[in-house]
Amino acid sequence: MLLLGIDVGGTHTDAVALGPDRIEAQVKVATNHDDLLSSIRNALGEIVRQTDPARIKQLNLSTTLSTNAIVEGKLEDVGVIVSAGPGLDPHSFMTCKDFHVIPGSLDHRGSETKQLNNLALEEAISSCRKSGVKVYAAVTKFSPRNPSHEKAIELAVGDNADFITLGHQITGRLNFPRRIATAFYNCAVWRIFNNFADAISGTLEEMGLGHIKVNILKADGGTMPLPLSRKVPVQSIFSGPAASVMGIIALCKITHDSIIYDIGGTTTDIAIFVGGTPLIEQEGINIGSYPTLVRALKVHSIGVGGDSAISILEGIVRVGPTRLGPSIAFGGKTPTLTDALIWKGSCDCGDIGKSKAGFAVFASKMDIDPEDLADKAIENAINKIHDSTRELVEEINQQPVYTIHELLENRRIVPRKIYMMGGPAKAMKMDIFRKFRLSTEVPENYDVANAIGAALTRTTTEIELFADTERGVMFIPSLGYRENVPRNYKLENAEKDAMNHLLAHLGEMSVAADGANALITSSSSFNMMNGSTTVGRNIRVKCQIKPGVVRTYS
Amino acid sequence: MLKAENSLGIIFFPAFDWAISPTHPEREERLLYTQDQLREEGLFDIEGIREYKPEVAETVDIERVHFCFPEAEAIATRSHYISAGGAIKAAELVMQGERDRAFALVRPPGHHAMKTVQGSRGFCAINIEAIMCEHIREKYGHKRIAIIDTDCHHGDGTQDVYWHDPDTLFISMHQDGRTLYPGTGFPKDAGGPKALGRTINIPLPPGTSDAGFMMVMEKIVMPILDDFKPDLIINSAGQDNHFTDPITNMNFSAQGYAALNSMLKPDIAVLEGGYAIQGALPYVNLGISLAMAGVDYSHVREPGWNPITLKEPDDVMKYIGMLCDSIPDIYFNPPKESNEGIINGNWSVRHRTIFYDTEGFTESQTESLLLCDECRGLLKVETQKENGPMGFGIEIPIGACDKCRNTGYSLLEEAQVKSKYRYMQMINRKDKEYMRYGF
Repeated sequence: MLLLGIDVGGTHTDAVALGPDRIEAQVKVATNHDDLLSSIRNALGEIVRQTDPARIKQLNLSTTLSTNAIVEGKLEDVGVIVSAGPGLDPHSFMTCKDFHVIPGSLDHRGSETKQLNNLALEEAISSCRKSGVKVYAAVTKFSPRNPSHEKAIELAVGDNADFITLGHQITGRLNFPRRIATAFYNCAVWRIFNNFADAISGTLEEMGLGHIKVNILKADGGTMPLPLSRKVPVQSIFSGPAASVMGIIALCKITHDSIIYDIGGTTTDIAIFVGGTPLIEQEGINIGSYPTLVRALKVHSIGVGGDSAISILEGIVRVGPTRLGPSIAFGGKTPTLTDALIWKGSCDCGDIGKSKAGFAVFASKMDIDPEDLADKAIENAINKIHDSTRELVEEINQQPVYTIHELLENRRIVPRKIYMMGGPAKAMKMDIFRKFRLSTEVPENYDVANAIGAALTRTTTEIELFADTERGVMFIPSLGYRENVPRNYKLENAEKDAMNHLLAHLGEMSVAADGANALITSSSSFNMMNGSTTVGRNIRVKCQIKPGVVRTYS
Repeated sequence: MLKAENSLGIIFFPAFDWAISPTHPEREERLLYTQDQLREEGLFDIEGIREYKPEVAETVDIERVHFCFPEAEAIATRSHYISAGGAIKAAELVMQGERDRAFALVRPPGHHAMKTVQGSRGFCAINIEAIMCEHIREKYGHKRIAIIDTDCHHGDGTQDVYWHDPDTLFISMHQDGRTLYPGTGFPKDAGGPKALGRTINIPLPPGTSDAGFMMVMEKIVMPILDDFKPDLIINSAGQDNHFTDPITNMNFSAQGYAALNSMLKPDIAVLEGGYAIQGALPYVNLGISLAMAGVDYSHVREPGWNPITLKEPDDVMKYIGMLCDSIPDIYFNPPKESNEGIINGNWSVRHRTIFYDTEGFTESQTESLLLCDECRGLLKVETQKENGPMGFGIEIPIGACDKCRNTGYSLLEEAQVKSKYRYMQMINRKDKEYMRYGF
């Protein structure tokens, strides 16, 4: 049985088919930005030609579709209806023109402090209808503590919407401005993503692969089943860097605090591991102009890659951040970092003779010794990578840190090892080592590590349970689940309930529930007082299926 | 996206595993809802506002300020060390220029902890503001610092720590001591013989609301600050003046606290009291944070806020008006003598009994200041908890003259020889030497 992984990247689309003990096929095709489907079809076609389709069990797909739609602003108009109550002015978080603030408010315990104004709500909906809006986002402050206002908005919108996102269904974590942005993006890419999902299913049928299970990669290094992803397409943004990180986990045995570099054509992605576990963005990832609640591995991108153009300004040699086309070795016009590496003999790819000739011509035009130029260009790239890494580690050490395991308090991160992947990784290994003086490893198959990572990641999910025994309610926002609990409901009941719901939710997604990877990431219980009597407990439990890979090849 | 006018660092340490007792007002849950509110508001996503980890204070940070008997480790728990470390981190962010301002949202609080510490008073064990200020002075040179205490209770601990310090202006506005713990903080208490007019107490009548507090800010606090010209302004930001606070009787609001900080422009704010943990703290802390960062706070409202019903009656405003007329004079024309202490030779001596309400015991203490014409003067403390062993503390102040310094060492030697004392502690700020004996 084979596991397929496809990573649609900025420059290339990589695909692999993994057998039980080895990589049985691997493909690299150019990404066609105007037609991602064709890139996927080409890659799949190659894989199917090299393997027996009947043995293929699953396809994990990392796609830039939603990310591109957001970055390029190809977004559908969304009707955003919010209710905020006291605090910051909600108009500061206006994401689009059809943005309506309805009077009404809930407090931090979910108590209604002001009713939702139905008249204003009706007006907002009719205004959206007039603008021809077909997708809606309903977000209210503190909805993870009490979703009733969001549900009331949903009810009022009714048939006006082809699709509606309710803030509390995204996550139980608190952050009203991010919840608005996340719900907005989820609606704005919903249609384009669903059309794509239909096309993928159709393509697989055509290729005789209708029997395989399709998962979409998320930014936190996990996957979600395709049917589920149709409701939360926003979760598929920025899954590329996550695929690479998971690839390193599959290919190397990481135990120390480490730095991971994925050096691509245009950018280098830097990720940090703490004791063998990747770090996670505390709140969520930033995309477009807004921070969101989309959980993601912490990856920092800088504009240095194999195709970064070399420029000389006032005698200083610089690399990047622009890409002016491919390297000379691959038929480009401007010398790049890759050409400099070829000149130094560190790299053997493309048309070596052409590259060296073009490089020498450029150097003489700039009145500089080519050897000197190559040295300085590589030095500049390495320095950029080094400085950004230092800054990143420093920043992480300043703030409360979260890994996919837990919150780490007062732990300083001291990198002991470097892992590199991506096209130019092998060529730059020694230069990186000389700069950092840390053990540096480039795994085998480093050039398709991203696709390997995609193929091997597990389905993940996280839920938050929230209980208030004074009110006698227990509530899991992201599942929309609510039940009444007795006054003596305790933390251990809550932990058990949270785990059961997590595994049941996996069951619903028809994923084999693996209890071994389910873990509670935080749980707390606070006595609530009135005067000096205990009136109840405020209980919070977070649990997750830990992101990880199903097997390793190290 | 919102952008802060002044960059602000927030150090958040809710000490979710520390409480005085399960039903005590100062307990684990105290900052829970504040944390929820700040997260839900997306405060840390505002450009310029960042969350930082607290540092952990070291024993030397505590012993630079306090005479701790039997020892610092016996009095302060790990949470106290982190709470003080949170304040130090706030100071570091501002002093290093990483942030324009900083707000330490930490617990346990500290402003009832006095110069000499034998245990906990008023939910406080060590004075986190004082520890922070002296850390700043030790590391960044001698600064003129103004501490404005807006907690509802008189900041008797901070007053005691800085009673003899002419370079620290301490202004406390609080509910009148005749109606609330700790029962002190009257205008006649204006500082020790070498720091007259550097302690300003403003006892406000119960029922004071936004207009009253702002009048005090305009007519007392700001003119004094303009004259004192501090290098740093610290807000000891207690929040129990709020109209919903369960243990006080004031009518201040989140809007009022925000407006006060807008006017005060503190470099650093440190959370102190505030026990209306659901109805007030989330909104007040949000208001203060926004005001410090220079972000619009006009939409911050707590439930149940009604400016009409909270407004001070006329007689209360009239009384506050009287205070505003008379109190500035204490700073501008300080009294000729301190109202506490008797002159004995060239020493000014205070005999005191101090009640530790949180633990329920009494300390008897004799504090003596060597009256010197060259410097602030040497400080000597003899203390005894109930009928326990005697403790002896001696402090050679910053900028001490050679005579006071040498006297300090000879007194310490004498104390060691006499063996009347079980514990001895020397704070030498001049040479940065800190010593303990008999521990």
